[in-house]
Amino acid sequence: MFEYIKLEMRRTLRDASFVTFGIGMPVLMYLLFTNIGGGQNDDADWKISSMIGMAAYGALGAALGVGTGVASDKSIGWLRQMRIAPLPPTRVVTGRAISGSVTVLPGILAVFLSGALVNGVRLDAWQWGALTLLLWIGALPFTMLGLGNGYRLSAQATGVVNVACLMGLAILGGLWFPVSAFPGWLRRIAEYTPTHRFADLGWATSQGHAPGAATIALMAAWLVVFGSYAVVSYRRSARTA
Amino acid sequence: MTQTTTQSDANAVRFSGVVKSYGAVRAVNGAELSIGRGETVALLGRNGAGKSTTISLLLGLNEPDAGEVGIFGRTPEQAVRAGLVGAMLQEGSPIPRVTVRELVFFIGSMYPKPMPVAEALALAGLTEFADRRVDKLSGGQTQRVRFAMALAGNPELLLLDEPTAALDVEARRAFWESMRTYADRGNTVVFSTHYLEEADDNADRIVVIDRGRIVADGPGETIKRAAGGSLVSFDLAGMPTEGLSLLPGVAAVEIHGDRARLRSDDSDATVVALAAMGAVRRLEVAPASLEDAFLSLTARESETV
Repeated sequence: MFEYIKLEMRRTLRDASFVTFGIGMPVLMYLLFTNIGGGQNDDADWKISSMIGMAAYGALGAALGVGTGVASDKSIGWLRQMRIAPLPPTRVVTGRAISGSVTVLPGILAVFLSGALVNGVRLDAWQWGALTLLLWIGALPFTMLGLGNGYRLSAQATGVVNVACLMGLAILGGLWFPVSAFPGWLRRIAEYTPTHRFADLGWATSQGHAPGAATIALMAAWLVVFGSYAVVSYRRSARTA
Repeated sequence: MTQTTTQSDANAVRFSGVVKSYGAVRAVNGAELSIGRGETVALLGRNGAGKSTTISLLLGLNEPDAGEVGIFGRTPEQAVRAGLVGAMLQEGSPIPRVTVRELVFFIGSMYPKPMPVAEALALAGLTEFADRRVDKLSGGQTQRVRFAMALAGNPELLLLDEPTAALDVEARRAFWESMRTYADRGNTVVFSTHYLEEADDNADRIVVIDRGRIVADGPGETIKRAAGGSLVSFDLAGMPTEGLSLLPGVAAVEIHGDRARLRSDDSDATVVALAAMGAVRRLEVAPASLEDAFLSLTARESETV
């Protein structure tokens, strides 16, 4: 599996457009959101929480984007090739998820960097470290969701479905607008979304405490759900090709 | 009990009563086949005859609707997991942004006893392209990459689905030489082809598949005999054609203008009988070509359907 992770990481890092978009988009959106629309809003809390929200959003996009790569690999027969290799499906999916998570990291770091340099966000060193790590690991369920879509759908459909998942989950989870602005019933649904819990990992850290047990449990549950979805989709994928 | 184990171990491949349909089409229809360890077998048939489906079933990519597929006494999935099988699939282009060496090394790394990368590259004729990106290669070179990937794990059973498509004559010759080198090490090789000559030249045994059925199975010689060993032809010079099919040895009669072509199991007896009739003008006896054998075998099948 280690060799598989190495191979896929190499391929991703050699893909210039993927790296540029994965890093460039969230930074651009963060700076736009905090400096243009709400330019007069000097609230430090908003700058921190939107920084985390946008880093989470970027991580989400990159994580789901792994699925798009998988779908195009499928269209050229690479999944079939993997299916006839000795590596069991669970390890193929795990390996692809781990290698995919490498693409998540640069986006997170870039948003944090622009938060610190451009918007003057100040946090303790341990908070920066913990934030990076939590958002990075926390993106894993979304990588699984993206992989599941990629293994199951055609390359074009994966792109569309991933964008729909990204938008839907980001808005519903309160990454764009705070959940407190939602009506009560929607707020209750939002609490259970993986995206809200994902961003909560970051918000808790920025307020100086560890994320709650409920958040960790929910994230683990979502990891299992999306992880199973990815494995099942992978098993099915070679047959229909 | 010990006996059953040895028996199943003696076979590299065993198909019993295998049926696989796609909608109304029976791609594989009740196939019975066993291939011993170390054999080199050609699956010969036209496009759509069921060769690729057979290979998919051997790899566990498809499940049979009925019957059983066994590889070295295990299920295809178990055999693949154990690293006993390597395959060259027909479709699929290599993934972008890796070099030939990286890709072949990676495939080998998943198997318990891989072949050294340099050896796999040399066998596939890729040594000089080792550091090229896989997506920058020509069609023929890509085909060799697929071969190297199939060899990389040093598998006991090598499955090749139309391996010489996209290769020119020279590359084809080199390919078969490498395949035989690999087979000579005691490995079992199964390849599919619709080139009759390839099957005859490179396999110990030919399995002819038509419309999902195995219509003939044996060495090239046997296949030719099964189709009527020789072709006896002569000028009719106006003589009547009825009765020709009753001559000794004659299996089939074709008339082309003034010339009769008799397919015969026993050409000596046929010729003697013809001589007695005085029908010897421009008499020729030729061994049936594999092409003739193939056509006659598959035609016979279509009559019974």
